[in-house]
Amino acid sequence: MNIKIGQYIAGDSILHKLDPRIKIMSMILLIIAIFLVPINIELKNIISMGLLFVFSLSIVYLSGIPLGKVLQGLKAIVFLMTFTFIIQLFTIQPTDEPTLMDAPMTLGLISMIALVLLTIFYHYMKTKIKWRITWFFIYVVLIFVVQWLIRMYVPMYDFGFSLDYNFKIFPSGLIRGGFIFLRIIAVMVIASLLTYTTSTIELNDGLESLMKPLRIIKIPTYIFSMMISLTLRSIPTLLVETDKIMKAQTSRGADFNESTLRQKIGQIIALLIPVFVISFDRADDLSNAMEARGYIIGEPRTKLDVYKINYKDIIILSVVILIIAGLLVTRFAI
Amino acid sequence: MDIQFKEVGYAYKGFKELYHAIKNINLTIDEDGEFIAVIGQTGSGKSTLVQHLNALMRPTSGKINILGTELPSKKKIKVNHLRQKVGLVFQFPEYQLFEINILKDVEFGPSNFKETKPHALEYAKEALNIVGIDESLYEESPFRISGGQMRRVAIAGILAMKPHILVLDEPTRGLDPQGKDDMMDMFYDIHKKENKTIVMISHDMDVVAKYAKRIIVLDKGQIVFDGPKENLFTHKDFDKFHLDYPTPMKVLNHLHKTLGYPKKLVLTNEALLKHLREVAK
Repeated sequence: MNIKIGQYIAGDSILHKLDPRIKIMSMILLIIAIFLVPINIELKNIISMGLLFVFSLSIVYLSGIPLGKVLQGLKAIVFLMTFTFIIQLFTIQPTDEPTLMDAPMTLGLISMIALVLLTIFYHYMKTKIKWRITWFFIYVVLIFVVQWLIRMYVPMYDFGFSLDYNFKIFPSGLIRGGFIFLRIIAVMVIASLLTYTTSTIELNDGLESLMKPLRIIKIPTYIFSMMISLTLRSIPTLLVETDKIMKAQTSRGADFNESTLRQKIGQIIALLIPVFVISFDRADDLSNAMEARGYIIGEPRTKLDVYKINYKDIIILSVVILIIAGLLVTRFAI
Repeated sequence: MDIQFKEVGYAYKGFKELYHAIKNINLTIDEDGEFIAVIGQTGSGKSTLVQHLNALMRPTSGKINILGTELPSKKKIKVNHLRQKVGLVFQFPEYQLFEINILKDVEFGPSNFKETKPHALEYAKEALNIVGIDESLYEESPFRISGGQMRRVAIAGILAMKPHILVLDEPTRGLDPQGKDDMMDMFYDIHKKENKTIVMISHDMDVVAKYAKRIIVLDKGQIVFDGPKENLFTHKDFDKFHLDYPTPMKVLNHLHKTLGYPKKLVLTNEALLKHLREVAK
């Protein structure tokens, strides 16, 4: 299992000790702040975006979690981010701006072959290189360099069929692409920091207490929070049980690796039904155990942890509010 | 043909360092006629060890030869056929049931191993007969029978594959004393009649003393004893194995301490009685 986001790393930093309610609120406010910065080429926006980005990286330092680990959690979306960036470069083509770069390129039979070879080379080298993300970026750049080289230096580049185009980069395209890139990273870093530094119990307590106002309009928030915590609690149990059943069925000849697609469908039933039965059994046991310990839905309960807001919480929250206020002022007042 | 372990180890990545579930395991298990009990404390690697017997887990170091197939091998090979030859019954096997009726569930194993439909049916009926499930229950849903019956059906599901070697992970766990005896007698019958090798994990020293011929003791992932059961209970390091004596031995040890009865290896109640009669004379 390689789920990085949503993992809790125990620690002793300011962020770990922060009141979960304050933490959740600050996270939401910060994400709002990041989306408040308008995307355009004006200097003040570039500065505020840059500052927000640096700020989100510096709270990683506050949390005591190595920056590398946080960035590793972003691996899964690197492809998506790069893709959006390139799409931005291609689609933003204003007429009234000078180009930053104007390179003739071609996509034809020869360049296709070259790109396939490049991809093979990329996958081959991938297993041997340590800096995979950097290598991926180099690969993306190379895709365009290859097209350009073939257009410029191969005389017969339009052999067979070819699609010639000019790859133009405009400042606003670059800025927009970069903005979105930074925005995604900053939001992901902040969101993953919340889960890295908050245990599920705290998270749940925080959510429950933040949802309290909803009780006025008769929404049973205590049920939601209990549901969330029970769901989170049962994930590891279910994973263990699934693994056991999978092994048991494999022992009966249902090998999930060595069978054809048609066999696999039958085997998934052999996996799903036992897991279903087990989860109902467990849920039944759990509800009995809860009732045996006096749990009644909606009755007031005492909590293991009582959260008190202290000066650190207030400082953090005021910093975040200041950031938002500053952004609003620069956006609308100046 | 047999199962051979050479310097086998299995390690997985813990929070920081590698955790060795088993290490330096050297072992030979014959295809016929053995009745082996694997014992040891919780977490000593018993389950990990038996899961290597049918290639469910692959060793991270060392080599295993399962009935002529070398693991891990350099080539990518299919190992599914090994699971037909070495039938593994997990702890609480009743949870693996899923079909709409008992007969179909037992057929699942043999039909996975490409048995024809009539053959699979025949094997299933045979296996259900061995475990003592009545014919009237064949069309019943496996979720509507009692817990003890469910376990029997699940075991029949493995027996129907006609394995050469039967591996049992705590087959008597959670059963009442009567059910325990019935279950073990059934396995002993299979062992006697077909001369089939049985490898069994157990925490119940009475069961071990009564049925097993050879005992393997694991401690912290390593084999600390491997030999006939008679040698184990008289072994000079027995106290270091963190094991319990079977009940007849406990009774005799107590009599030895309080009344000064002479010590002797007694593994069954009958042997204890015989010994006491001799002493009384």
